[in-house]
Amino acid sequence: MSDESVPLALPLLRLAAGSSEVTTLYRELRKPLLRYLVCLGLSSDEAQDVVQDAFVSLQRHLASDGKQENIRGWLFRVAHNQARNRQTSYHRRFIEPLDGEMDFLTDDATPEQRVLEKEKFRRLAAAIRLLTESERECLLLRAGGLRYREIGEVLGMAVSTVGDTVERAIKKLAEKCNV
Amino acid sequence: MCDVQGKLVAWLDHELSSDEAATVDRHIKECRECRDRLATYKQVSENFDVHCDAVVAGKMRHRVSRWVPVLASVVVAAVVMFLVFPQRRIEPPPVLAPTLAATSVPVPAPHAAEMAPRKTIRRRHAVPLVEEQVVKWQPTETAVQIAIPAEAMFPPGAMPEGVNFIAELSIAPDGSVQQVRLRQ
Repeated sequence: MSDESVPLALPLLRLAAGSSEVTTLYRELRKPLLRYLVCLGLSSDEAQDVVQDAFVSLQRHLASDGKQENIRGWLFRVAHNQARNRQTSYHRRFIEPLDGEMDFLTDDATPEQRVLEKEKFRRLAAAIRLLTESERECLLLRAGGLRYREIGEVLGMAVSTVGDTVERAIKKLAEKCNV
Repeated sequence: MCDVQGKLVAWLDHELSSDEAATVDRHIKECRECRDRLATYKQVSENFDVHCDAVVAGKMRHRVSRWVPVLASVVVAAVVMFLVFPQRRIEPPPVLAPTLAATSVPVPAPHAAEMAPRKTIRRRHAVPLVEEQVVKWQPTETAVQIAIPAEAMFPPGAMPEGVNFIAELSIAPDGSVQQVRLRQ
């Protein structure tokens, strides 16, 4: 290998390494991100767009030697901000209830079980509707597997505030649902 | 009220420092109420997860089902269009080659309606010129050509010796004779 080829080859190698890292992250985090964005109120199409954009941003971030620690929190923050930027659809639907169709019951459930389960989740949906925006966002990010520190980074809150908010939200849901 | 009550969810999420976690560990071994609360919070968290999955599944399914009726209606419309409006070709009218054989071809009897003289109808209000358009679209080429030899037209002996000809008649679709030509 000649000396001249080294500076040319290095950026390519770095880009290749970065690309494989992004691909791994994409496989790992695409679903949690989609779930967060859809539950936040975006349509599935919008959520897919936001996830794609977030990963393109990540690629640029890594290519420009950006900070490489806590990439998961970084991605959720970018996705969260992009969702926020879609003001019209986001705000319109954010206040809509998270009342997806309750078709998660197995086929072998008895009719009584199905009725009881539907009622349970109907009450849960009603309780989620009563949460504040930050409580709901904290719970959604927590459900996405984020640590309190990461949730704080995404939402711009102190870790202790995140802990208090999550605790308060869970207690509200437990109280309303009579679990 | 127990001291650890505000830390139970954080304990579930493994977010407490080791000292705080040890304190909660000791407490829940003794306090049945807090054990029940922990079970409740765990159950609520799991239900919240299931609920989120149901929301995502519902929205993703709607995304697919929204396209299905659109696609189906496009296909149905295309099929209906194909069946109701079959492809119409305007074929050029057949141009008969002049019949050279010395045989007579019967003239098709013209339609009574076609034979009737066209009457100009004066209308008080303007109407679309449908009739004129129909007339315009009629082919102007010859519909029938007839070749009649002279011996078929005259009785035997009427024609002088050595004189023979064939009469060619070109008849238009409306029954009128377009052209009469005598050829040897």
